[in-house]
Amino acid sequence: MKISYFALLRDATKKSHEVWQRPAATLRDLLRDLAAEYGPNFARWILKDGELAGYAIILVNGQDVRGLQGLDTPLSPDSDVFIFPPLAGG
Amino acid sequence: MHGWTGKILRIDLSTGKIATEALKTDLARDYIGARGLGTKYMYDEVDPTVDPLSPANKLIFASGPMTGTFAPSAGRYDVVTKGPLTGTIAASNSGGAWGPELKYAGYDMLILEGRSPKPVYLWIQDDNVEIRDAAHLWGKDVPETTETLNAETATDAKIACIGPAGENLSFIASIMNDMQRAAGRTGVGAVMGSKNLKAVVVRGTGAVTVADKTAFLAAVSKASTMIKEHPVGGTGLRLYGTNVLVNILNSVGGLPTGNFQDGHFETADKVGGETLAANQLQRPKGCFSCIISCGRATKVKHPKYKGEGEGPEYETAWGFGPDCRIDNLDAVIKANYYCNEYGLDTISMGGTVACAMELFDRGIITLEDTEGLELTFGNADAMVEAVRLAGIGQGFGKKLALGSYRLASLYGHPELSMTVKKQEMPAYDPRAVQGIGLNYATNNRGGCHVRGYTISPEVLGVPVKVDKDSIDGKAELVALFQNLTAALDSSGSCLFATFGIGAPEFAELMTALTGFAYTGDSFIEAGERIWNLERLWNLKAGLTAADDTLPPRLLSEPIVTGPSKGAVSRLPEMLPLYYGVRGWDANGVPTPEKLSALALA
Amino acid sequence: MSMMLMIHPDKCTGCRNCELACSMEHEGDFRPKASRIHVYTWEREGFSVPMMCQQCKDAACTTVCMPKAMHRNPANGQVELDQSKCIGCKMCVQACPFGCASWDFLGSQILKCDTCGGDPACATICPTHALEWVEDTVSAQARKRSFATKLKNAFAEV
Repeated sequence: MKISYFALLRDATKKSHEVWQRPAATLRDLLRDLAAEYGPNFARWILKDGELAGYAIILVNGQDVRGLQGLDTPLSPDSDVFIFPPLAGG
Repeated sequence: MHGWTGKILRIDLSTGKIATEALKTDLARDYIGARGLGTKYMYDEVDPTVDPLSPANKLIFASGPMTGTFAPSAGRYDVVTKGPLTGTIAASNSGGAWGPELKYAGYDMLILEGRSPKPVYLWIQDDNVEIRDAAHLWGKDVPETTETLNAETATDAKIACIGPAGENLSFIASIMNDMQRAAGRTGVGAVMGSKNLKAVVVRGTGAVTVADKTAFLAAVSKASTMIKEHPVGGTGLRLYGTNVLVNILNSVGGLPTGNFQDGHFETADKVGGETLAANQLQRPKGCFSCIISCGRATKVKHPKYKGEGEGPEYETAWGFGPDCRIDNLDAVIKANYYCNEYGLDTISMGGTVACAMELFDRGIITLEDTEGLELTFGNADAMVEAVRLAGIGQGFGKKLALGSYRLASLYGHPELSMTVKKQEMPAYDPRAVQGIGLNYATNNRGGCHVRGYTISPEVLGVPVKVDKDSIDGKAELVALFQNLTAALDSSGSCLFATFGIGAPEFAELMTALTGFAYTGDSFIEAGERIWNLERLWNLKAGLTAADDTLPPRLLSEPIVTGPSKGAVSRLPEMLPLYYGVRGWDANGVPTPEKLSALALA
Repeated sequence: MSMMLMIHPDKCTGCRNCELACSMEHEGDFRPKASRIHVYTWEREGFSVPMMCQQCKDAACTTVCMPKAMHRNPANGQVELDQSKCIGCKMCVQACPFGCASWDFLGSQILKCDTCGGDPACATICPTHALEWVEDTVSAQARKRSFATKLKNAFAEV
């Protein structure tokens, strides 16, 4: 699946996007693997005590997972995942 | 008084009469300051049907009670007047250090009346107020004007001025202060130009005092900690600025593209905050008393677009970028610099160029009309040149300086102007984010995001996530955000303080500072009072419920590509609910009961 | 060893919270003109520099102070002003090469940083750590390291 990173997560991953090959049935699986891959500088913005961190924005195929099934949102190999740390503007 | 200085400076530019008067204490308590208090004085003193560019319109520079204190990120002021772009009551809000300096000079508000017979500027040094000749400044841009005035008054004086756009009475002219900060919206710069007033120079040596120091220090400490420790307010804005929003709005399909023909722009990342931080950003900047520092000191080295200054904000990057289908960030920033230098509102300018591009694209205007400007979507050089020409009021720029509504109307196609109440909408597509469309439509100054920033819950999820595509609860949400923002604008606070604190904290700050007892509820109620007063002004000015709408495109033409493909705004379903929540009748007129409850009857 | 206020202009955003904290600490209200620290901003370049007393070892203000109101405290290494001895002659204002002693015509007093008695309010409030209250030994090394890091990054890019 394709994963895109933004803001501070580009610093943590040193990339803006990548094609992720490892299988992940749900967002929970994916984030667990990404946290292991990119370490605490990535994980601290996204996960807190095993749940989605407040204000992290994750989109699967353009839909905010907070309006889907959160960490249990199902993924498929052709999912398009966008991951943002907490952010604001105006 | 504490917080407020308790004094107003009133100058009749027609006669040169300079006077001071006491601030009315009960009005200060009920309308707070800045936007609210300025509006109350306008309402009491000026006929809403006044021609905005006539001497009978007044121009009020108003600070808030928190302005000049170290309440976190609360150093702002408003320019309140009848806006020439919209015909509505206008309050255009700006940061920097000018507002605090007005307070230190001893004034909560500066009320300007009449019209000077010749170009002048004001030199306010505490109690010494002079009206000085400005013949040598007329025609100069904002940086030149600022530097010249600092040289001939005091190096530490703070300067608010207009550029050539304001002198030329452009309907989208801003008032710039501290060289780089803008009271941008609704065309307030043209009102200043119409009064032959080039600049207001202020230097103050006095103090802003506090009613209960111990309580104020405690409230400031609490509010600052909440903002700094909030995941949203604390880090991202300093690192990436507001422009970090380009990617998130594009990713949800709510980034208006090509004059709102679409809601998604393939290469938007090239003009986003991450790209800016990696390339043109020199360092973050903070307005007076700011702990967030979202300002961007930037530099462009590309020979064609060379320059330095502040910006772009998100709306600016969007307006000159995706809305014109341009992904060249250097060009976008150059257009931003021109706006700052000539004194133009970047949102309206961007929206106007995008509109001109659609007119050109459709063959409604030709190279003959544009005097050779190839205004095709994506043409970065033509966009930058269009902005320059609008700034100096030459060639096709004269027409662009009218704003998109008047431009498109000249060629018989007002429906291609992406405006509400003739003011260009900002960078959030109402088809992809339902609540923001209701806010645009009902906003008291037309197309404006900051007065009801529902993007925060609808997209960012702050303080809680709500479904952006649903209309459920949006009427309540929009009204609440509009009320809270009216109150905090009036206090002198920056909207971004809400990425950390809310009404209870604002009430604590206000109570300790002023000695008047505010609660979270009474603070929001003051905001509701201000909102309704603005509404009453607009109704008296001749606006009606028919003006509470969006461009027809957003109601009937679905987004073409991206994650929000197929969406349209459901405004017609939300609007009656909103009137109901507001306590207004079916024609959008506040009921006597509502007015009486707000002490507006 | 003593403490010093370290200035990092590269981190300064020009917000002037330091001026406000200083004024509140010393005067009990918000009056930047009475602040002992001032921030100067170049708006075209967007660059800001905070300026306050450098607590010089060989301080011109102490040399010219006839009543010895301005004096160096050997215990903490700071230059201190004994207001009870000050005659308001303003010689310190004339002498300071940094302009960091000034005369407050409203309060009829010399304004000079007293480091808030060893806990400077300006450094506490500074939202970006552009002002830091640090040991004078450590601070010099930190500056060295910071410059070395810049050099490293410059070479790494080549």
